Amino acid sequence: MTAIELRGVTKEFADVTAVRDLDLTVEDGEVYGFLGPNGAGKSTTIDMVLDLVRPTEGTIRVLGQDVASDGVAIRQRTGVLPDGFSVYDRLSGRQHVEFAIKSKEADDDPDALLDRVGILEDADRKAGGYSKGMRQRLVLAMALVGDPDLLILDEPSSGLDPAGAKEMREIVQSEADRGATVFFSSHILEQVDAVCDRVGILREGELVAEDSVEGLREAVGGEETLEIAVGDADADATDAIRDLDGVTRVDRDGDTLVVSCADDAKTRVIAALEDAGVVVRDFHTREASLEDLFLAYTEGDAPGIDGGGGDSEGGEDDGGSGDAVGTEEVVR
Amino acid sequence: MSLVAIAEKDLQDTVRSRGMLILVALFSLLVAVFAAVFRPGGPSGQFATEVLLSFAVGPFLVTTLVPLVGVVVGYNAVSGERESGSLKLLLSLPHSRADVVFGKVAGRGAALSLAVFTGFLLPAVVLIGLSQFGQLSTFNAGAYLGYTVFAAVLGVVFVAIAVGCSAAAATQRQALIGGVSIYVLFVLLWGAITGQFLGAAGDAGLIDPLPVSQQQISVFLQVANPITGVELLSNAFLGEQLFSGEGVNQQISAVSMLVFWTIAPPLAGLWRFDGDDL
Repeated sequence: MTAIELRGVTKEFADVTAVRDLDLTVEDGEVYGFLGPNGAGKSTTIDMVLDLVRPTEGTIRVLGQDVASDGVAIRQRTGVLPDGFSVYDRLSGRQHVEFAIKSKEADDDPDALLDRVGILEDADRKAGGYSKGMRQRLVLAMALVGDPDLLILDEPSSGLDPAGAKEMREIVQSEADRGATVFFSSHILEQVDAVCDRVGILREGELVAEDSVEGLREAVGGEETLEIAVGDADADATDAIRDLDGVTRVDRDGDTLVVSCADDAKTRVIAALEDAGVVVRDFHTREASLEDLFLAYTEGDAPGIDGGGGDSEGGEDDGGSGDAVGTEEVVR
Repeated sequence: MSLVAIAEKDLQDTVRSRGMLILVALFSLLVAVFAAVFRPGGPSGQFATEVLLSFAVGPFLVTTLVPLVGVVVGYNAVSGERESGSLKLLLSLPHSRADVVFGKVAGRGAALSLAVFTGFLLPAVVLIGLSQFGQLSTFNAGAYLGYTVFAAVLGVVFVAIAVGCSAAAATQRQALIGGVSIYVLFVLLWGAITGQFLGAAGDAGLIDPLPVSQQQISVFLQVANPITGVELLSNAFLGEQLFSGEGVNQQISAVSMLVFWTIAPPLAGLWRFDGDDL
């Protein structure tokens, strides 16, 4: 069964076409990351899935039912963390969760849910006094009521600190492990990589890519940058690896060699260095960063980025802001 | 029941607002002031509950203030949540838009009734106490309580009209304009507008072919105003003429018009609201 199915969906507002002829399928049980820059149409798409906004054209089915006619039945089995919501300022956190439980005719324990999202201590406070992050947690707790088959989370980590974002990912993961389908949108990429089975990238209302994170990475280039700390980098060492199959570029940066190469050439590079008598102290790879990947799809004319140039620049200011956003460093 | 869940939530939310407390205090104060003014001095003086209600509390308090409060309680019911974004929370749960509109009518109607009852009953306790101590010769608690019900009904009708308007409004601003218009129409201009309408219809010869007289239509139009309707019914009640005697036909039209005003505006509002992108 498919959890979410959009067919030929177009949404025109008075002055702009927000979503254009969109086909999108989310399979049962998968974690689907819905990516795109601000204004790409993510929220409009999610609002249409929730029947808050009606498509100009096309059909949307969720959990096998039509959103236009069976919205209530769908939402009975769906948990939603919407974007741009506000809470009821005069009601306490517990009252919010109790309202969700009553609305879904579920029998959850409000305190257990509040504890799970980490705001049990503030359960009796009025939600009007909550911080942005606490509100986000509160509404997540409401979304988890009744063990939904489908979770729709619109920018779930907004307002959360890094620790909160990590907890959010853990909850998403445990819901996926339970068997729930998770569909979430984000413009922050590192969240997606950690938990998603599949990623769709939306750009100007159109789906420009849809694959696993690995698959996208391969499609964009599949090149990696290898940073090797060596005892004594001389010309012989660089010559030894420059001619290897799959190596496109070698730069020397002090005692570090920065090598752009195909994924499967990494072991050959290390072996060649050792054969040439160069002491390899440490090495790690930098994958084509998700940020590069994202920009390639959302800004470039066509998929395909030059991994070499961009990455070696990134390598020089290692630990800088560019790294924190999208680079995954793997020590092998 | 989805509608009940919304109504309950809305009642909880509304009774916690500062406005509700002010409302209760205002009602209590005004009823107490009227009671003090209308109490002929001395232990032997006749205290007529019916007089207090139909000549003081009725025209000065119920027919002007209760509709206003109904509009104030109802006008932002849907549009306020729409503008703040809490409506997204509501519609993320298994509620239909119809549940939202009618749940709001029920929840806010209940909140307003609560305010009216509390506001009327606090002075009543004092009045009953005074009559116990012989300060007042008679206090007709039954008439007083019954009258309170009519006041609450009037409030609920205006809540329903205002919620309907709120559901149809795309913004808070529109809802506010709608709310003010409702109040002005029913409280201030109803007689003038219906009179004009009737005059024009009569001049155009539209009434003669009908099997009713101009007088009957005029009476019907008056009773069609929920304020007049409730006045008619409550006066009949205080005169122990409710659903008996000569006025029974008028009373029935008044009741049906009250039902109409409770259901039709929310339905009309829902019709707009249901088709809108939020």
